[in-house]
Amino acid sequence: MNALLQNARTRYDRAKTYVKGHKAKVTHVVTQIAIYIFLITISYVFLYPIFRMISISFMSASDLVNPEVDWLPSKLTFANFRIAWTVLKGEVSLLNSIKFSGLMALFQTIVSALTGFAFARYEFRGKKLLYTIILLSFIIPVPILLITQYNMFNEFYQLIGRTSQGQGLNSYDSQMLMAFFGQGVNSAILIMIFVNFFKLIPNDLYEAGKIDGANPIQLFWHITIKLSLSTIVVVFLFSFVWNWNEDYVTGLLVGDGIELFTNQLGKFDSLFSTRTSTMTHPDAGGEIQLVESFKMAATVISVIPLLLLYFVGQKSFVQGIEKTGITGE
Amino acid sequence: MGKNKTLRALTGESRIENQNKIAYLFIAPWLIGFFTFVIYPFFKTIYNTFFEIKLESIGYTYLYNLIDKGGNYGTAFRNLYFFPQLFDFIVMEFTYVPTIIIVAFILAVLLNTGVKGQGIFRVIFFFPVIIMSGPITGILYWNGAGSLLTYADNIIFKMILSYSPQLAEALSGLFGNFTMVLWFTGIPVILFINALQKINVNLYEAAKIDGANGWQILWKIKVPIVKPTAFVCAVFTIVQLGTYTGNPVFGLIKDAVYTTGAGIGLASTFAAIYTVSVFLLVGIAWFLLGRPEKIKKVELSSIQRINMEDLARRRAEQKKGTVTAQ
Repeated sequence: MNALLQNARTRYDRAKTYVKGHKAKVTHVVTQIAIYIFLITISYVFLYPIFRMISISFMSASDLVNPEVDWLPSKLTFANFRIAWTVLKGEVSLLNSIKFSGLMALFQTIVSALTGFAFARYEFRGKKLLYTIILLSFIIPVPILLITQYNMFNEFYQLIGRTSQGQGLNSYDSQMLMAFFGQGVNSAILIMIFVNFFKLIPNDLYEAGKIDGANPIQLFWHITIKLSLSTIVVVFLFSFVWNWNEDYVTGLLVGDGIELFTNQLGKFDSLFSTRTSTMTHPDAGGEIQLVESFKMAATVISVIPLLLLYFVGQKSFVQGIEKTGITGE
Repeated sequence: MGKNKTLRALTGESRIENQNKIAYLFIAPWLIGFFTFVIYPFFKTIYNTFFEIKLESIGYTYLYNLIDKGGNYGTAFRNLYFFPQLFDFIVMEFTYVPTIIIVAFILAVLLNTGVKGQGIFRVIFFFPVIIMSGPITGILYWNGAGSLLTYADNIIFKMILSYSPQLAEALSGLFGNFTMVLWFTGIPVILFINALQKINVNLYEAAKIDGANGWQILWKIKVPIVKPTAFVCAVFTIVQLGTYTGNPVFGLIKDAVYTTGAGIGLASTFAAIYTVSVFLLVGIAWFLLGRPEKIKKVELSSIQRINMEDLARRRAEQKKGTVTAQ
């Protein structure tokens, strides 16, 4: 009798734990599904403008007003892109943008690495104050600096006589100068990335190098730089992208002097009529009317280089932000 | 020679002095740039606000005009566009920043639950950071690609509209442009994930043993720990929104630089007032999120203490029991 009761009880217990576990499993699955639905919805909202942009960039003028055409254009044609490429002066601005962003990124990376090395490696007078200043300099709005910077450069170029086309304020010399002296786009973040990474390099390596008679520059080159190639790539990529996308400072300091993808896109409407006056529409013939599709096609064109860069260096970008280490402090 | 160096390195003689020199050599480019391109322009622009500046053949002429109807500040206050646009900018910051922080935190918490394919989601959420530039957001914004939700017919929206038009306007700015708002979450999401991953897992275990559910863990552990990160994100977002094309103040300042009539003095004044308001916004963010938390000392009554001790004893017994059962 007793044994029977015992048996029944264990069976009951087993059933109870089974139900309990099963219930937990069900709630787990339900939460997982809910999370997925939420994340996918949000992803859709994130990507919606991009999908929309790509879809519109293929549409003809009649597709745009046709209520039956929502996402898929009635005919697949690259005509819009050809026109957008002409308006953007594609072959000129692509090379210019790459050259501009590349040079700026190079300067920014070098100066940020030097500065970051000093902050990570040495104890010097005023270190804490200067580091705080770097962080604070990030929140100073650009306009308050830009007005005087513009005047400074203006006077400077007049003084040395570089005011003709393609020089001075019609070129990106001014921004290059600022990048070389560590004041480019978001320089503070780049310096922080370097400081936090360089701090991780063990001190023993430097001690060993010192005993072998290396001077600080050799230490910097042979130990720091050679150990942090991945971080250098991260900083370079970020700087490249930020310079590519920057348009406020460039708008004032370069103006109309040089064709860059970003500033051409910003002036698309006004450029359109002057640059397409000699063209005829490949499909319809006759004069081309400015429609949304061309603008979207131009946007797609100017985004493609960045997308390529992102898909190649996608991991570096995300890790780069994690490396800033500004989360805890 | 080599030996000498070794000796010096080992004894560490006059090390600090040397370090000072070397370190300043390394940061020299940055330091020079900082003084020429940040410190000098900053104070020069503020100095400019007190003068009427005109460009003449001999160069710029400065005419002190603060006593005359408040000078540039008076003109700025009387300007038909500046203060309304500055107000719009501040409203934008007040609606966007909290939304961005909250959405980013929610996304980070969800991504941190270990769902499969979180890498793909991260790539999607981060990708606007790469392509976001003034012209692109401008074009997508003006073509309505940024607005996804049709909020105007919503009954709740109509109720708010009849109750307070200002609030409705602020909300419509937020929801009419919701995708663009989301696009600002790229970097905050990564920062939040990073902060959440740093939380010691034992804390969750301890909380669970004390009978806390997921909700309580979220509010009592995750939220307080990521608060400093939220501050960093808030500052970052405030700055980012400042450079966003939707910010009308920038355009106004740029135009004022080129307009010879108003001149650099007025443009500087606009910039200075704008800067003060950005600093105030950062100050508010610091007040809400940045201050270090005070640790509360918990006073236990004797009964509570006895209860807890009892609980601890029982738990220890239980543990022993399960160990022996296994």
